[in-house]
This record gives sequence, C-alpha cells and structure tokens, in this order.
Amino acid sequence: MGRMSAATLLFTTSMQHENQALVRALRRRDPDLLSRLIEQYQYRLFRYLLYLTGNRETAEDFFQETWVRVIDRGRQYNGKWKFEAWLFTVARNLVIDFLRKKRPEGLSDFTRDEAANPELSAIDSVTPHDLFAEQEASQRLITVLACLPAATREVLVLRFQEDMTLEEIMQVTGAPLSTVKSRLYRGLEELRERLEGAS
Amino acid sequence: MNADPHERAKRLNTQSRVEGIAPSEQQWLDVHLEGCARCTEFAQSTERALRSLRSVSVTVSPGLVRATRHRVEARVQELGEHRSQMVLLWVSCAFSWVLGIASAPWVWRVFAWVGHRAGLPALIWQLGFALWWAVPAAAAITVALVRKANEATDG
Repeated sequence: MGRMSAATLLFTTSMQHENQALVRALRRRDPDLLSRLIEQYQYRLFRYLLYLTGNRETAEDFFQETWVRVIDRGRQYNGKWKFEAWLFTVARNLVIDFLRKKRPEGLSDFTRDEAANPELSAIDSVTPHDLFAEQEASQRLITVLACLPAATREVLVLRFQEDMTLEEIMQVTGAPLSTVKSRLYRGLEELRERLEGAS
Repeated sequence: MNADPHERAKRLNTQSRVEGIAPSEQQWLDVHLEGCARCTEFAQSTERALRSLRSVSVTVSPGLVRATRHRVEARVQELGEHRSQMVLLWVSCAFSWVLGIASAPWVWRVFAWVGHRAGLPALIWQLGFALWWAVPAAAAITVALVRKANEATDG
C-alpha cells in the first residue's frame, strides 16, 4: 500500500514537473516544443474537432487555428490541468466563437439530421485506405453519431475515446457535472439503441 | 433504491461506464448478470457500442500538419517581431519621459517667457506646458492599448 502511494506520488510529481516544463516552454513560445506538440496531439485534436464539427474541412481549419491560438494564449496555461484538456478547451472556444458570430445557438448548429448530414458519415472517405470505408461497423457508427447532438457527441468522445475524467470534461466543456453526466448517460443510451437498431 | 432488479442492473451497467460504481454494486451486478440473459444482452450491447466508438480511426493528412507547423512558425516569428517593436516603443517612451522630466524646469521657463511676451493669461501657457508634456506620453499609451486590444480581438 505504502509502495503504491509512493509510486502514485512519484507519478504525480513527475507529471507536475513535466507540466511546469511545458508551461515555461509555452511562455517562451518555443518553436521546437510547439512542433512536438502538434505532432503528439495531431490525431486526438483532429478527431475531437471532427466529432465536434462533423465536417472534415471545418475541422482542418479549426485545427490550424487552435495551434495559432495556443501560441497566442500559451501564457494562460498554468499546468494545473492536463495539457490536452486545456488544448481541447482552446479548440472548443474557437468553435463556439465562430458559431456565435454566425448564429447564437452555439454547438447545436453542428447537429443535423441523418438525411441531411453526409459530411460526418464521410469523415474519412477521402482516403481509400481508411478504416471507415473498410469497416461496416465504423460506417454505421459514423451515421449514428451524426444523428446525435454535437454536445452529446463531444462528451462521448472525451469520455470514451480520450478517457478523460468527468472533471476534465467539465473543464473542457464548461458545463456543470450534472450536465456532463446527463449528456453521457443519454448519449451512451442513444448510441447503444441506435447501433442496435442499425445492425 | 430501484425495486426492479433489471432496471437497477441497466442503471448500474451504464453508471459503471460513465462514472464508476462501488465494488459492492459491481458485485451485485455481476451476480445479476450471471442469471439474467436480458440484462447480459443489454450489457453486451453497451460494450459493443463503446468498442465500436473506440475503434473509429481518423486520419490526419500530413499536409495539414505541415501547413499548421508553417503557420505556427510564422506566428511565432510575427509575435517575436511585434515584441521587439513594443520593447523599442517602451524604451523610446521611457527615454522621452526621462528627458521630459529632466528638462521640465527649463521648458517651464520657456513657456512662461513666451506667455509673458505674448501677453497670454498664465492658465493658457500653463495648459500649453501640460499638453507639451502629456501628449507624447498619452499618444504612446494609446498606441500600446490599441495594439493590445487588436491582439485580444485577433487572438
């Protein structure tokens, strides 16, 4: 037990050191670090944006904008939270700002009905070797996800793909715990029912 | 507490995935699932949905990563240049303020002399002196604030 606590403490301390190093490098706007971060988080950030917006082109635009904003706002990262949680918050705020300029409804703008949303269901159809095209199950999932509200898709991705804790999801989405939980419960149930119905 | 064990099993099944459940509840759930085909099917379908969600693969085009790196480098450079300009601006301001303070007594005398020669009321030449002293500083502060506001809007 004592050994486990020591291991946990060591891990936590090492993570804090890493975060502090990241904080300092972000304040310096270290180009090497930024390049490494882009490499490291490219897949996860893009996937998050893709699920949030439901559109590959839009997600690509936001992907670039997010990193530019990371440079501009790097000094605001204090290392208290995991970097990815802060990164996703930055990305999310960008999307929300963009949508507010267009329409005041926020993320609901990215929710479409099944028939009218070919974009999310074609997330990766641009590349011939992608898994979506190859796997029928993935295709079904994409179609199902497209029908869910963007806010629900978002929490599902953060919880079950990013393995974020509920607290981290709260931080990214800015929603209270009760809302995060209810979105997760509803989303998981809807996902399950729709996938079963589609099979 | 839910009276219907099947409803409870469904609730605990979802809850265990969303936020986790107590070991005693997990134990109850495991025992219930062993004897209930309907709830087992429910648990399996939830598991399938999550597996399906986790298995989704998204590709990021190398071109996007490259373009992002270029943009980031350009932005870092731009901000570096901007920072140098701001440093230069503040150094100039500081220099100008030091000079202004050091020369204030002489300038005051010059303004007093000109005001006296021109027959101006004291308030007017004193106001002139205040403007001469304050306007450059106000202009520098305005420039700095406008740039800061622009940064906030762009960023």
